[in-house]
Amino acid sequence: MSIRMIRLAVAGFFLLVLLAVIWPGALLFRRAEPFVLGLPFSLFWPVFLIVLSWAVLLGLDAAENRAHGRDDRSAEGEG
Amino acid sequence: MPSWVTITLIMAAYLALTLAVGLRAGRGTSASVAGYVAGDRQFGLLVMYFVTGATVFSAFAFLGGPGWAYSRGAAAFYILSYGVLGIVPWYFLGPRAARLGRRFGFVTQAQLLVGRFPSRFLSALVAVLSILAFIPYITLQMRGAGIVIEAVTEGRIPLWAGAAVAYGIVLIYVLVSGVAAVGWTNTLQGIFMLGIAWILGLYLPWVLHGGIGPMFRDILAHRPELLELPGLTASGDPWNWGAYSSAILVSAVGLTMWPHLFMKAFTARDDRILRRTVVLFPTFQLFLLPVFLIGFAGVMVVDQLAQPDFILPHLVLSVDLPVIVVGLFCAGALSASMSTGDALLHATASVAVEDGIRPFRAMGEATQRSLIRILVVVAGAIAYVFALDEDQSLVVLLLSSYGIIAQLAPPIVAAMYWRRATTAGAVAGLLAGSAVTLFLFLNPALRPWEIHEGIVGLLVHLPVLVGVSLLTPPQDAGHTRLFTHPDLGEEPR
Repeated sequence: MSIRMIRLAVAGFFLLVLLAVIWPGALLFRRAEPFVLGLPFSLFWPVFLIVLSWAVLLGLDAAENRAHGRDDRSAEGEG
Repeated sequence: MPSWVTITLIMAAYLALTLAVGLRAGRGTSASVAGYVAGDRQFGLLVMYFVTGATVFSAFAFLGGPGWAYSRGAAAFYILSYGVLGIVPWYFLGPRAARLGRRFGFVTQAQLLVGRFPSRFLSALVAVLSILAFIPYITLQMRGAGIVIEAVTEGRIPLWAGAAVAYGIVLIYVLVSGVAAVGWTNTLQGIFMLGIAWILGLYLPWVLHGGIGPMFRDILAHRPELLELPGLTASGDPWNWGAYSSAILVSAVGLTMWPHLFMKAFTARDDRILRRTVVLFPTFQLFLLPVFLIGFAGVMVVDQLAQPDFILPHLVLSVDLPVIVVGLFCAGALSASMSTGDALLHATASVAVEDGIRPFRAMGEATQRSLIRILVVVAGAIAYVFALDEDQSLVVLLLSSYGIIAQLAPPIVAAMYWRRATTAGAVAGLLAGSAVTLFLFLNPALRPWEIHEGIVGLLVHLPVLVGVSLLTPPQDAGHTRLFTHPDLGEEPR
């Protein structure tokens, strides 16, 4: 997959995250039950999204590094 | 020795340590403005990580977060929801801004804007808007420090004196070391804050309720409305979805537009560090979880506090904690306040001088540096006056500032990504967006569905920016190219 495609996919993912935390998407996750890991669902849900987002960002970063070459400091100069 | 004396001594030791770290930090940087404002662009990953995290998580998160969870329940979850969304664009915006900064020598956001859209008026406008947003933000941090000290000394050191002592120390190290002090003290304060939040977030529910699960079961049985989105208003009525959703939106848009954060792009040593800071940012978001747990731990234990922002110190004092833990907690909360406050003071003064004064009046580097120092003191004094007579919740104070800051997003993005944007478009958009935001801030009843005034401002801002840009002659292609394709010739595509 090209880096452009990966960036688009990541942008799409974060758009879905946005829709899932604001009205009307958040209506689906508004309730306290069921409890997950001791947390009410309305609290577990945003926490879960943070962890998921973190994983996606790690993936994006790995892909960007491959695309840029290992270190872009050498290409930058100190200017 | 009474326990409050011990606690005060621990806090004093911590403050002394912060001061020492802050003063030491300035020794390596050059005496130039780039040294004072942008730390000679030499911040490594560890420092950048904590600078970004600690400047975002402030007294707002440490005291305001539990305060909202305690009094408004699920409403507080908006704070969990915007952070990652807000930081993601920075993965691309940050390195690009950094590149432009290195090429043209920018140290502030407005310089970048004016580099692309040459207009001294625009520079001054950005300076005025930034300062307008900064003052309530600094006020919030000072109140936070004062609240903690007043609560743990049982009123012996009142809010005004506590805030004065804590911010006196901040002033000293910011004046001496500039942004380098901010970097290293944030690192110390960030580590401290994270540790304390997790310890208390797990300990308080356990000691008061026998665990996190039982605590929420208890709340669900007696106050179920607290656990259902979008939570409650300050007066205890159900909150509105429009307000909840737009709070997330405006905070996400505004997050990286805060000048003190944006300017960090100009302090990073290289692009990798900026990108990694973004990738690691969610770890700071997770730190909000224990903060909310602390607030919820108070729901069934503490009856209606007049000022919910006091819930955290109140709980810490009412359960039988070892004195040393209470002392460390206070130091953690002070860290939260001071680590944001120092960056804000520094940024306010830098922006005022670099963007508000220098475009109109030439001055030498030495004059600039001393003027920044004078304005650090002035900004501190103004915020301090507001901190003394202010009865707004800490979260509300910050949310209001976000409306103004979010207006900086369209011109910044246009400057770096949209070749057809023009100076007239950028100025007109910013004027229209800010005017609408300020008008609705002053007349909140006119907002449709209680949508945050900053979002309504953006809805006016964007069409004005695009429309006026398209109606005015395009900028020179060679000029726009420098901004929209900064890496041409540097990186193979």
